[in-house]
Amino acid sequence: MKVRIKSWTGVATWRWVANDENCGICRMSFESTCPECALPGDDCPLVWGVCSHCFHMHCIVKWLNLQPLNKQCPMCRQSWKFNVH
Amino acid sequence: MANMAVSRIKREFKEVMRSEEIVQCSIKIELVNDSWTELRGEIAGPPDTPYEGGKFVLEIKVPETYPFNPPKVRFITRIWHPNISSVTGAICLDILKDNWAAAMTLRTVLLSLQALLAAAEPDDPQDAVVAYQFKDKYDLFLLTAKHWTNAYAGGPHTFPDCDSKIQRLKDMGIDEHEARAVLSKENWNLEKATEGLFS
Repeated sequence: MKVRIKSWTGVATWRWVANDENCGICRMSFESTCPECALPGDDCPLVWGVCSHCFHMHCIVKWLNLQPLNKQCPMCRQSWKFNVH
Repeated sequence: MANMAVSRIKREFKEVMRSEEIVQCSIKIELVNDSWTELRGEIAGPPDTPYEGGKFVLEIKVPETYPFNPPKVRFITRIWHPNISSVTGAICLDILKDNWAAAMTLRTVLLSLQALLAAAEPDDPQDAVVAYQFKDKYDLFLLTAKHWTNAYAGGPHTFPDCDSKIQRLKDMGIDEHEARAVLSKENWNLEKATEGLFS
C-alpha cells in the first residue's frame, strides 16, 4: 500500500528554559507574562544575569532603574550584568 | 493598588499559609482589610532569648510600588530591644531600608525579624536607651526585656519586684505604661524614676 501525503500542518509548542518556575520579582510563572503584559513570548521576554538568575525583562529593568547606585541581582546581590547569549 | 503589588501579596499570603513555620506556630499573617494593602503579622519570640514564650504583633503596610520598595513594618506589641523603638515600635533593620531586594517576601521579612530578636545590634540602635542598657548592664537588660515580654506579649516570666515598683508609681497617679518605661530606663531604680517623673 502506498500513502501519498497531500498536505501537512506542523504544530509546535515552546517554553522558556529557565532555572526556576517563577520570576523572583513578580512571582508569576515564567510560562505566563509579567503582570503588565498580556501575551507571553517575544513581547514579554525573559533575561538572564551573569549570576545565572532569570527574570521577566520588564521586571528586572524596572528594579534596576530604581537602584540609583548599586545595581544588584535581587536574588543574590551580585552586581547585575545581563548575560548576552 | 498597582497590579503587581496585589498579585504578589496574594501569592505570598498563600506561601506563608503553606509554610512550615505556620505549622510550628512560629509566624502568622492575616488580612486587615480587603484591599491587601495592610496586613497583620505575628512572630513568636525565639527560644533562648528574653522574648521566648511571647507573641509579637506587627503592622505591615504594603506600598503601591511593592515589591520594588520594601513593606513598611513596625511592632504593635511593645518590646524592649535595642533595634526597636520602645515608644513607637519602629524597626531598624537594613533589609527594610536600603538593603531591600525585590526577591524578598513577607515570609523572609518575618523570619528576619525573628532573627533580629535573637541577635540584637546595639551598635546600630533604634532605641538608644535600650542599647545603652544592653551594653552597660546586660543582666538588667535581660530582666527588663523578659518583663516587657510578660507584660505585653504574654511571656511566661513574672517579676513581682518590677510589678510592685510599677504599682508604687501608679499609686502616685502615673499611667502604667509610662511607669514601666521610666523604670526600665532608670534600671528599675524607683527613686531615680520618681525624680525623673516629678522634677
